[in-house]
Amino acid sequence: MPTLQKTALRPLATELEFTRVYRENRDVHPAIREWRCLEVLLPAFFQAMKPGDLFAGRIRHPLCGFSTQPGGFGYYCHEAAIRNVLESSPADAALREHVEAMLAFWRVENTTAKTRAAYPPWVSQALPVDSLAIVHPAYPLYRLGGTQLDYGRLLALGIPGMKAEVSRNFEGAEGGEAALGEALCGCLDLLADVARRYAGEIRDAGSAMGEVRSLAEALESLPNRPPRTFREAAQLFWLASWAAGSWNYGRLDEVLGPFLARDLDAGLLDEAAATDLLVSLWKLMDATVPCWDARIIVGGKGRENEEAGDRFALLAMEATRRARVIVPQLTLRFHDGQNPALMAKALDVLAEGVTFPMLYNDEVNIPAAAKAMGISEAEAVEYLPFGCGEYMLWKKGFATPSGAINLAKCLEIALNDGRCPISGKVMGPRTGEAASFASFEDLWRAYAAQVEYSVAALTAQEKIEYDTLGREAPCLFTTLLTDDCLSRRKAALRGGVRYLAGTLETYGNTDVADALTAIRAAVFENKTETMESLLTAMGNDWEEAEGLRKHLLALPKYGNDDDVADAMAARVHDHVCGFTRDQAAAVGLAYYLVVVINNSMNVALGKMVGALPDGRKAGDPLANGNNPVAGRDRQGVTAFLNSLVKLRTDHHAGAVQNMKFSKSMFTAHRPKLEALLSGYFAAGGAQAMLTVVNRGDLEAAMRGPEKWGHLMVRVGGFSARFVELPNDVQRHILERTLNE
Amino acid sequence: MGIVFDLQRSALQDGPGIRTTVFLKGCPMRCRWCHNPESWELEPQSAVSGDPPRTWGREWSVEEVMAVVRKDRRFHQVSGGGMTLSGGEPTRQADFCLALLEAARGEGIHTCLDTCGCFPSNLLDRLLRFVDLFLYDLKATGEERHRELTGIPASVPLTNLEAILERGGKVLLRCPMVPGVNDFEEHFSAIAALSRKHPGITGIEILPYHRSGESKWAELGMDAPDLGAREPEEGQKKAWEASLQRLGALRWKIL
Ligand code: SF4
Repeated sequence: MPTLQKTALRPLATELEFTRVYRENRDVHPAIREWRCLEVLLPAFFQAMKPGDLFAGRIRHPLCGFSTQPGGFGYYCHEAAIRNVLESSPADAALREHVEAMLAFWRVENTTAKTRAAYPPWVSQALPVDSLAIVHPAYPLYRLGGTQLDYGRLLALGIPGMKAEVSRNFEGAEGGEAALGEALCGCLDLLADVARRYAGEIRDAGSAMGEVRSLAEALESLPNRPPRTFREAAQLFWLASWAAGSWNYGRLDEVLGPFLARDLDAGLLDEAAATDLLVSLWKLMDATVPCWDARIIVGGKGRENEEAGDRFALLAMEATRRARVIVPQLTLRFHDGQNPALMAKALDVLAEGVTFPMLYNDEVNIPAAAKAMGISEAEAVEYLPFGCGEYMLWKKGFATPSGAINLAKCLEIALNDGRCPISGKVMGPRTGEAASFASFEDLWRAYAAQVEYSVAALTAQEKIEYDTLGREAPCLFTTLLTDDCLSRRKAALRGGVRYLAGTLETYGNTDVADALTAIRAAVFENKTETMESLLTAMGNDWEEAEGLRKHLLALPKYGNDDDVADAMAARVHDHVCGFTRDQAAAVGLAYYLVVVINNSMNVALGKMVGALPDGRKAGDPLANGNNPVAGRDRQGVTAFLNSLVKLRTDHHAGAVQNMKFSKSMFTAHRPKLEALLSGYFAAGGAQAMLTVVNRGDLEAAMRGPEKWGHLMVRVGGFSARFVELPNDVQRHILERTLNE
Repeated sequence: MGIVFDLQRSALQDGPGIRTTVFLKGCPMRCRWCHNPESWELEPQSAVSGDPPRTWGREWSVEEVMAVVRKDRRFHQVSGGGMTLSGGEPTRQADFCLALLEAARGEGIHTCLDTCGCFPSNLLDRLLRFVDLFLYDLKATGEERHRELTGIPASVPLTNLEAILERGGKVLLRCPMVPGVNDFEEHFSAIAALSRKHPGITGIEILPYHRSGESKWAELGMDAPDLGAREPEEGQKKAWEASLQRLGALRWKIL
């Protein structure tokens, strides 16, 4: 088989070869076609190791290929990037011609284009744009994300055992089923080849380093027998996850914990060496996976190997503390009665300014997920936050976030009869001129209609996206590593996976709530403002209307334990979550749920929304996750936490809460931090992302105090709101923070 | 009804656990290092500048305050916290102060009184009945020095302190320490003697001086007093530590 060094000689060689093979197999069974394509792709995809790597498995995505998500969606082709390569390559008329033909071919043949072509008119009308850079209230996202696969069986059986398992399940299969079985076995051979190749490269490099030599041995063993050591197991996991293009890893404590415990007990590894291995794996993840993926879950209910898992969890947290990398997004699930050492270690790690682990409360999340997903609590113990925080079901469900909706934009167009005031374009149903609304309920109905229009289209889109990819390819490795597929003899997206579901990313939830609270008070209740004058001031981004803006900013805001503002937040939340949940049945998804997550989209989408009636300025970032709008929670952390728990958790698939505390809360005041957390979690808090306030935060607060009203710091024996301190005291605190 | 100028949910420094701290207006002292000059006058006040000018204080009913305090009950319970009355000097609004304490006590909420110790002794009975822990300032030693620094002679708070302790009250002693202003041997010595004499002093917190915002004074239309003091360096704090140790003080810590 070709090695990377050779394929890299000619520009776009992999892409052209891949295209040739695809075209040759265009009309054979999709499973066979995918297998043959993988034969070209995998060797080019896996890259040589770098010095210091304790595991093999660096990657490069070809510019045209097949992937579930990381490289692109299904059969993909990145035309612009390919043209860049072409520009920078020596002129070669023949190459150019080949490449042009390839691009023309993929323009219609790629899976994203086929998905879009499958939209009925009402869906394409509601979702006309695919680029998040274009202003619109809703966007489809193209990917099969949301998989957290079953590595446990692969590690237990090994590659040969897994092949036998496939053969056993597909015995006597005919036609398409037989093709699937054959391709599944074939792709296991490809995985074995990758392991062999890496072993060979290590031997060829002639490294005498003991570490690397034992890695070569581990790799050589993988094609022949199940992994026996932690190192072999972790290595196989890592290669398999990349082969499947799945970059959220599920309950690794369950999967790898037993191997680790065995090695530790047998004296094959000590804790320091095990931590070194994990740090190296973490660094590989950091080098290859984007910052919003690479979830690893430890802790929680329903683990079969709890004791071994706890040992893995503790070392994983230690690795996170040491590695100081952006990913993995280590996540600790916890419940009453769990080994307290896990939470204690988590807080110790967080105290050092690391942003992980994130904390998830099983006592709330399991019943909530069961209710939201319509499954039993016994099944819901396998809920796992994925990527930015969407709950999936480990091994037996996909709920790809395949759509994003900008609720703030929905409100904005509801205030303008379906028109975007920035571009002037009609972007939603004509819900009437705002000036004609006789009551707040008229406005609410207009807003709700805008949201519902987009959500219904996005639900349909999600199913079409799965169906299209399912027709194009069985996603062999995904199928192999997903429960039920083998016994059902079905590709994951063609009836294999038990729960084919979806999630919808919502943004601007809190902004909408604050805006509606303000408009109801100012226009409909106190009547201090008319709708026209408010819209005019918003249109001018409050220029010459600073007084009005101040008045609006002073109205109640979510996050202060204020019953009026929080009730509006709950209404907005219940509406979008409930409506979305009810759409699944219409399109045949197991469930379709809102997620309120945390990534940089709140900033990007905020730029596309003009001023809002709560005093927000045009272009400001939208609130992050379920949090209050930045700087608006000014009643202290208990009020903030009380507001958070007023939002229901049992009709969506995850909402993210960020909390910043000063370093002393993790150290000198640790019992108070623990009390705050236990009070919050006992009251129904589902999740928390804790971070220590750092120098960057304080500097940002000095530059833009209006966004940092919630930031408390310690001055002498007192707590003070940082932004209200005089400049020199702020600077003093800044210096001190450096030293803490 | 009473005048409240701030209400801090989730205060972490005002007694045990997580606390809801209610700041009552009015103070009989005029400490030269005061961080809350906006608390001095009993009546609500507005800033002399600003658009709109900041205001301090409005009338609250007992029930209104309690409604906020109650919202944090679960956090009080898990942390061993509760309600703290602060100021100013909360006893300046004696009826309101006592009514709040009684209401909280009636609901089983732990109560702290943050006091400078300057109040008429006829309040003692009722305070002792409703206060779980006194956060009691000890500002300086020496009758005259205390008067010079706070406007009130030392014997006033000292007499009340002794009375509270003799009658079984629990006290967390809080000692603002300003280099060159009150950090004298006789003061540390007095602190040490008190700590040995009274097991009711459950702890002593030395609060190192820090400069507060000058802007607040300007907003109030007042001149910031020139204390001529620096914030203590680490070495200074070490010296305090040494004095406290040498003099045999118990249960103290420097914050
Ligand atoms: S007792 Fe407290 S509020 Fe009153 S003047 Fe002194 S420091 Fe200020």
